[in-house]
Amino acid sequence: MIDPKKDLLYRLADDQLILGHRNSEWNGLGPILEEDIAFSSMAQDKLGHALQLYSLLHELGEAEPDTVAFTRNAGQFHCCQLVELPIGDYAFSLMRHFLFDHAELLRFEALTASSYEPLAQVARKLKGELKYHVLHANTWIRQLGTSTDEAIEKLQAALDLTLPYALALFEKTEAEPAIIAEGIFIGEDALRQQWLENISRVLSQTALELPDVTTISPVEGGRHGVHTEFLQPLLDEMAEVFRLDPTADW
Amino acid sequence: MLSSLDPRIARLALPDAPAALQPKAAFDQFETYEVFHQKKDGAPFSYVGPVHAPSADVAFLFAKEQYSRRAACSGMWVVPTSAISLTRYVGDQESVYDVVPTPAPEAPGVPAESEDYLIFHLKKRGKAHTHVGAVQATSAADALEQAKRAFGEQRPVVNVWVMRRADVLTSELEDRDIWSTTPEKKYRDAIAYKVQDRIDRFKQEHS
Repeated sequence: MIDPKKDLLYRLADDQLILGHRNSEWNGLGPILEEDIAFSSMAQDKLGHALQLYSLLHELGEAEPDTVAFTRNAGQFHCCQLVELPIGDYAFSLMRHFLFDHAELLRFEALTASSYEPLAQVARKLKGELKYHVLHANTWIRQLGTSTDEAIEKLQAALDLTLPYALALFEKTEAEPAIIAEGIFIGEDALRQQWLENISRVLSQTALELPDVTTISPVEGGRHGVHTEFLQPLLDEMAEVFRLDPTADW
Repeated sequence: MLSSLDPRIARLALPDAPAALQPKAAFDQFETYEVFHQKKDGAPFSYVGPVHAPSADVAFLFAKEQYSRRAACSGMWVVPTSAISLTRYVGDQESVYDVVPTPAPEAPGVPAESEDYLIFHLKKRGKAHTHVGAVQATSAADALEQAKRAFGEQRPVVNVWVMRRADVLTSELEDRDIWSTTPEKKYRDAIAYKVQDRIDRFKQEHS
């Protein structure tokens, strides 16, 4: 049985790394310059979060962060499928950012009280950044979700498309009972409940409608190495420089 | 289709620009907002520059990226440019309060409601307007008159900005941790990327 701490860390770190990489694809292509800078900056934050979490894994005996990040195949990743989907249009990326970061903020707020002190410390450090990411997401969802018909239609389509994947953010692994029992984390069910309340509150301030989540089957599998066709090409592109020169420092 | 060495561009499957003449599109600009930052807790807020944005909330996001990404910051205010009133400029050693005209006495009748106005001084041309305090006033002109009483002895004062507090979007105290992360992010500075020796070596090898 895998160490519950490692199980949790891999899921957290892989989510951050893959979404950080995905969102960085907007760099230079964002809808307006200021937003391009903001979105790229948050993508960079996520890569930084991944590094801190991979460093904790390294302390627990796993390989170096770069090795873990750049040399595994898709089947060895524990990210949810939400983060690996292509960037789509900006409405899609914004909606994914909104749904993901709301969960991340709650997750890391809860982790500040983790019995696994090194992770609690990292969580205290990252919380401020995640708070800003959520502020950013909320601001745009409110701004665009109350604006033109076109913006509302695009965001609603993005919400309908991403929600089944977002609900799989909370897919459990075999380590879940141990993670909760050892006080490492409050658990996915508790997180999902708080997340639903928070996103519902923001969406209710817009013209967007949250579909009835009880009728949606989450697109699970990611936490167990089952991924979409989009993850492996992402990994190949992300590791291109590392494979050319594993000693490259940048 | 537009071809590019950048795989991200190639994936967008963008059409080539048409060869025929196209009308030049009109500029589609947002309103401008002015941004004030606080370098550290307790320091007065001072002017850093403008941003374009569709609303004050979005202006706040852009201001954070634009003006706190690479500099220490512990708080930020944004205000629509149109909400700021300013005096004329005077010489560097002078005080603009000396030349502010005394407003005509108010006409009798129901006095207007007074509210908070924020006052900013510019001490020297080329420096930043800095918050000196607030006054209770019924209009921007009244606020300047009140400011002259409250802060008129400070000098030099090259220029004064006046704005209603109600027009200013301020960062929340409970969100102060969003500012606390910058110093250790050296990778955000171009100077942290030490590549010149590699570029030189590459050039030598390939010359």
